[in-house]
Amino acid sequence: MNPGLLQIRLRWDDPATGERREPILSVPIALGREFAQMPASLREQRVARIMLDSGQVSRFHALIEQDSVGVAIADQNSSNGTFVNGTRQTRSFLTNGDTIQIGPYQISVFLDIQSAATPIGDSTILFHSETDLPVPDATSTPSESTPTAPAARSNFPPPFFQAQQVSMRDLMDTELMVHEFDYAAIGAGLGSFIWVDLLRLCGARLNQVVAIGMEPQPYARYQRLCQNSQIPLHERLRSNSDSCPDNIWGFPSYAFRESWHSFRQGQIGSALKYLWQVFAEPTLAETYTPRSGSVFASIDREAQRIGWQQIFRYGRVLSIRQTNDGRYAIAYSRSTASHREHAFIVSRYLHLATGYPAIQFLPDLQAYREKTGDFKSVVNAYEEHEHVYQKLEQYGGTVLIRGRGIVASRIVQRIYEARKKNPHISLLHLMRSPKPQGNKFGKAQRQVKHHYEFQPFNWPKACWGGEFRAVLESADPQQRSRLLADWGGTTTADRHAWQRIVQEGLNQGWYKIAFGEVERVEQDGQKGTITYIQEKDFKGKTQLEADFIIDATGLDAKVNANPLLEDLVTHYDLPINALGRLSVANDFELVEMRSSGQGRVYAAGAATLGGPHAAVDSFLGLQYAALAAVDSLVSTRAPNLRYLNGLTSLTQWLRWVTNQAPNQP
Amino acid sequence: MTPTLLGRWQSRLLLLATVGLLVTLPFSMGWIVLGSYPVFLWVLGYVAVFGIGWDLLYDYLQKFRWDRDWPAAFQLLAGIWEAIFILLLFKTIGLPGIARTTPIGWFALHYSLIWLAVFTMSQTLMRVVFLRSRFRGGQWL
Repeated sequence: MNPGLLQIRLRWDDPATGERREPILSVPIALGREFAQMPASLREQRVARIMLDSGQVSRFHALIEQDSVGVAIADQNSSNGTFVNGTRQTRSFLTNGDTIQIGPYQISVFLDIQSAATPIGDSTILFHSETDLPVPDATSTPSESTPTAPAARSNFPPPFFQAQQVSMRDLMDTELMVHEFDYAAIGAGLGSFIWVDLLRLCGARLNQVVAIGMEPQPYARYQRLCQNSQIPLHERLRSNSDSCPDNIWGFPSYAFRESWHSFRQGQIGSALKYLWQVFAEPTLAETYTPRSGSVFASIDREAQRIGWQQIFRYGRVLSIRQTNDGRYAIAYSRSTASHREHAFIVSRYLHLATGYPAIQFLPDLQAYREKTGDFKSVVNAYEEHEHVYQKLEQYGGTVLIRGRGIVASRIVQRIYEARKKNPHISLLHLMRSPKPQGNKFGKAQRQVKHHYEFQPFNWPKACWGGEFRAVLESADPQQRSRLLADWGGTTTADRHAWQRIVQEGLNQGWYKIAFGEVERVEQDGQKGTITYIQEKDFKGKTQLEADFIIDATGLDAKVNANPLLEDLVTHYDLPINALGRLSVANDFELVEMRSSGQGRVYAAGAATLGGPHAAVDSFLGLQYAALAAVDSLVSTRAPNLRYLNGLTSLTQWLRWVTNQAPNQP
Repeated sequence: MTPTLLGRWQSRLLLLATVGLLVTLPFSMGWIVLGSYPVFLWVLGYVAVFGIGWDLLYDYLQKFRWDRDWPAAFQLLAGIWEAIFILLLFKTIGLPGIARTTPIGWFALHYSLIWLAVFTMSQTLMRVVFLRSRFRGGQWL
């Protein structure tokens, strides 16, 4: 590379996954949807070509080049325009810290490439391999308890697990316990529970099914993440009324159930309100969402009904291998603090639903924690951080929130509640850039207010069972990432209460929205933390002082963040999709895991994003994936499974209503 | 609700041919008022046939919505509009099978009951018997 060329750094978060991209590039830089449509060279200079995959981006959308005055961006007659700092421009000079918006991509520009450097590459908080709690400081815990690749651990799994296939004889020779099942669910969280529930409805017997995981309640981790991110039992989730993990039919929906409950307590007004909400949502009424406590209670009932406590088995899965008889061997640890125990399970059919392996953490905040060892002032919204609110309620102070999704909204609400106990609390909401307009797709556009982008759920509604579901399923991998970029992005729900809080806060001055790219965060003895914002337009540096910083940017689900999946992918050379997740077929099978025999492996949840379904990490999305996988099992004549047709579905529904077990044990 | 065009057509035809017919029979067989009134069967038929066309319009309108959804309230408004349309046609230019003198009251009662029965079934029994239809925009075939 010619050292005389001007280099700049671009930074954006992938609209589908939220993952950060941050290349350093030599000017000129072409931005567009199709590589071949962008010029390879200009005036004998090589052009850096950046592909932005979205239907809102033109094939060759914009060009960043240098002239005698400075660096400028020129729109290339694109259909949807190029915005610089929120204003549409045909040509505009760029200064340090400017934001370019092209379709769903918000790209920050850094001319001073050194100062903008992100301190560390991979910035996540992993879940503890034994307690499943987020581990804020992975480096200080003993290596045995941090999640590491199976190969790095003691003498289990045994050396013969290095082979492509393991023999049943070798397994037996270890003299460890070997249990055999037809169906094994790995994870034992909500994804596993929903799959097992459907298997039971289709005729699987209790002794045919096992679910291996860390906690007996399938919603344990989900509930913990909800509670940490300020959704206690009485608060409402961001989930549809008929997305019922306990009921595949979505009937009676949560709104019906809550309405009936209110009616019986004589609260006729509330009863009618919930029915009106589901009738008129989202246009004429605020979208109904169930209380988290009601959802957990309904799962408890269903778990009891299908015999989950007999299906669940405590254990941490370390490795999965094909067996020489066409099945799968699962090596798992049952070790607890007091004793070590290892065992195997052999199963013909597997279902992988291991959930989010990690919490995303902003790199500058991670760097702050590593430098200062201060884990109290800078927290992630998904970590336990009750002390923040306690301190605020007691002493007052300033909180800085990063991120503008649903979690940020919940935290704004929590701070609003804390302010009722202590009015000396103020809130600074730091966003990377203004949000002048929402994503566009076809003839429709997403609504934006106060720089928050609104959507009832985390994907457009039609992604679950409507037009978008069908479009995505029939799209090729390239089109899929484009569609996900167009439909994705950080959004929050359009709830009246939240809007009122934001408006009130802005009017009264205790809530402020600031924009900028963070350069670094430092500790300040008296004031807590200081966030340095990237210099812009040479107006000098901005400093934001706050007692606490809450990162509300989200969860991470790349395959390589999960040691079990990473091991499976490298061992069997499994394909990874464009978003870095497991590549699954339309029925959610990991086709490359088939061997000589009848065995099949399916996956569900966050690890399959980028595949046939968008809303993979939602209740209804998990039900969709489970239905696809179980229907596929039925068609391969898996033992005891029957297709749920109109009649058997009706029979099973009546059993659900009357709370009878789905079939004979 | 997030119906697709094919889902709209399939649900409409299935529900009108089942619960729609069930509601119509007492009217047409004269179990409510003595005599035979095939006019109610004609109404049922027109709701189905014109509906195939209206569904094209609804599906087009749905594309202007970011979520590509169709609230239940819209379903009600569409139902009212479709009734007015049939009423206007048979009262003005006339429709084969429906006399211009057909009382509006009876038409309204019959039509409302069909709409209510179809709507209720689509939200309840349909979900139970065709459990995959809600993941396929209402397609049950």
